Amino acid sequence: MASSARPNDRVNLEQITVLLIDDNPQALDILSSVVQGFGVKNQIRCGSAIEASEMLKQRQVDLILVDCAMPEMDGYDFVRWLRRETPRPTCQVPVIMITGHAANGKVMKSRDCGASFVVAKPLTPGVLLQRIVWLSSDEREFIECETYVGPDRRVRNFGPPLDTKGRRKGDLSAHVGQAVEPNMDQSDIDSIIKPRRVAL
Amino acid sequence: MTDVRSNKIKSSLARKMAAPGGRTVAEAVARAEKGLEGHRDEALRRAADHLDQLEAISRDRGEGSEARTYELASAVLDTAGFFETGPLFTAAFSLCELSDRMLGRNEWDWPSVEVHLRAMRLILATDCRPGATADTILQGLAAVTRRYA
Repeated sequence: MASSARPNDRVNLEQITVLLIDDNPQALDILSSVVQGFGVKNQIRCGSAIEASEMLKQRQVDLILVDCAMPEMDGYDFVRWLRRETPRPTCQVPVIMITGHAANGKVMKSRDCGASFVVAKPLTPGVLLQRIVWLSSDEREFIECETYVGPDRRVRNFGPPLDTKGRRKGDLSAHVGQAVEPNMDQSDIDSIIKPRRVAL
Repeated sequence: MTDVRSNKIKSSLARKMAAPGGRTVAEAVARAEKGLEGHRDEALRRAADHLDQLEAISRDRGEGSEARTYELASAVLDTAGFFETGPLFTAAFSLCELSDRMLGRNEWDWPSVEVHLRAMRLILATDCRPGATADTILQGLAAVTRRYA
C-alpha cells in the first residue's frame, strides 16, 4: 500500500481533469477552490449527478469528487451507475465520495457502490490531497462480479480462510502452516549473513 | 459461486501524476487553505441561514418537517465541514444523528431538536470558538442523542 506523502514530496496535478459533483453550489465553489490550490487546471463542475452522467458520456476525466447526499440521483447511485453502465476506462476512474453525515440507511449503499474512497467531513485540504496521492499509487485490483464492481474492498487481501470457497489466486493468508523442512543449522544461517569480500 | 473478474489497472490519474513538475505537498496544501479561507465568512452566513430555517420549522412543525430537519442539519455540515468550525460541526452532526435515529424509529421529540438549535445558535454567536463552555454544551447534546441509540 502506498505511504502518505510528506510535505516536501512533489505532487503534479496540472495535467489531470477533475469532475466535481455537488448539489450545494457553495460546497461546489469551496471544493473548486481547494483543487485549484492543489494545482489542478482542468475542472468540470456539475450541480447534479444526472448532469454529470450526461457529461461523462462525452468527456473523459481522471478523478471524480462527488457528494454523497443529493436529490434525485445521490452519490451512491451515481457511482454504481458509473462502475456498471459506462465503458472502460470511464468505469474505472478513481472516485472520492465526500459525506457530511452518513445516514444509517446509507451505510450498506456506501460500502457496495464501488467508490475508491468515502471521506467524511470535517475535511481539510491536507486530508483530501493525501487521499488523491494515495489513489495515484493505488494497487488494489478492480473487481467485477454480479454483486459488486469497483476497487477491491479488502485492503489487506487476506481473503477468506484457507480451504473455503471464495478465495482468489492472489490472496494472502495470516495462517502459518507446519514446517515442511527441518530447521536450518546455525552455521548455515551464519554463512548466509557473513560479510564477504567482493572483487570488483 | 458467481463469476468474479479482477484486473490490475493503471489509471490515467496515476500516469499523469507521475509526470515531473507540480508543487510540493506543503505548497499545494497552503494554497488550497488560502483559497478556502475566502469562503469561510459566506459559509458561516449560510449556516446561520440554515439555522433560521430550522428554527422556523421547529416552531411550525408542519407536514414533512421531520425529514426537512435532517436535510437542513445535513446542509449545515456540508459547508461547515470544510472549516475549523469545531463545536458547530459537532452540534450539527449530533442533530443529524438524532433526527436520523428518530426518523428510523418513527418517534419524534421536538424538545430534543430545540435544545440542539439553541446550542447551535449559542455556538455561532461565539464564532464557533472551542473551550470549556462549548464542551459542556456538546456533552449535553451527546446525552440527548444517546437516548435514541
